[in-house]
Amino acid sequence: MNESITLSVFEIVGSPLCVASDDGEKVYERIEKAMRQGRSVALSFLNVTSLTSAFLNAAIGQLYGEFSEAEIRAKLTVKDMEPDDLALLRRVVETAKAYFQDPSRFAEARRAALEEDDEQ
Amino acid sequence: MCAAFGAILYHIGDRLNSIHLTSIPRNVEKILSKNGFLSHYGREQIPANWGTTIPYRRFAAKGDRYFAAYVEEEFVRRSEMPKMSSGLVKKFRESVFEIFSNAVIHSQTRLGIFSCGQYFPNRNTLDFSVADLGIGIRKNVQDNLGLDLSAEDAIEWATQGTNTTKRGRIPGGLGLKLLYEFVQLNRGQLQIVSDTGYWCLGRDGAQKIPLKGSFPGTAVNIEINTSDVRSYCLKSELSETDIF
Repeated sequence: MNESITLSVFEIVGSPLCVASDDGEKVYERIEKAMRQGRSVALSFLNVTSLTSAFLNAAIGQLYGEFSEAEIRAKLTVKDMEPDDLALLRRVVETAKAYFQDPSRFAEARRAALEEDDEQ
Repeated sequence: MCAAFGAILYHIGDRLNSIHLTSIPRNVEKILSKNGFLSHYGREQIPANWGTTIPYRRFAAKGDRYFAAYVEEEFVRRSEMPKMSSGLVKKFRESVFEIFSNAVIHSQTRLGIFSCGQYFPNRNTLDFSVADLGIGIRKNVQDNLGLDLSAEDAIEWATQGTNTTKRGRIPGGLGLKLLYEFVQLNRGQLQIVSDTGYWCLGRDGAQKIPLKGSFPGTAVNIEINTSDVRSYCLKSELSETDIF
């Protein structure tokens, strides 16, 4: 299956205030599931009024521990973002890339993900 | 400073001590009653006639949603709060969320997170504090990275570059840097006390000093210049297709 899907951040979180890491995790789970199925994801931030780096790190930053940059670039797009929110997301992405360049962190993230899979 | 003081008293109470506040100067008592602080210690809360206080509250360690609602209700929607540009309101709101998220993610507190604020109309400043009773920055840096820094050096370390104590699947290391940049642009002030360290960023740059006593967690105070008319809405040249 390779059809695209639009995910609404507002709908997943249920609030315009996207500030909590736990809420970011919910968004991550949807993106990750769709990308695993080979689907392209358009992530819409329509009606979102506040974002934090903690939320974006959980929602998007951690994708870089699971997927390659090329896969993310090919499969994920964002829309309906204010310019300053876009700038924040860009910094989160840059920080995530740097974070996972450390091989020990990458291995640790992979291990944590596998352990979670085993528990499910 | 109610957030830090409340955290200390809660820490003492958690050790099964009884707390009685006595001999409080009248003007201090009035403020601490207005912002709801003394109602935690057997006094009645009096109406906040001037409406310049952001009430004292304690939140559970996973209380992000409640904290966000509190900021909306007590700051963003209140007519008594300063008239600020929409960009500044957004940056301020995001900044206090970043501070709270830092406490949630890093402190490992089981005793909650404390906050309060005060608007000073004559000075055009707004102060907001968040305190936790967690492990503190020095121990966090030591436990996660093996770096043996003094408490004040550990705070400074946490504000710089891409430094982070985060491990595992979710990256980090941006929250304090965003605060640093915003306070510098706004010409406000950022103060952090953690363990025996004090660090402050103000108009004249950053300074750090060791404290004689230890704070049982981390307290962050942000003071913003509410008369700042700078536009915080970036005219970014970034496009939505140029992020990843």
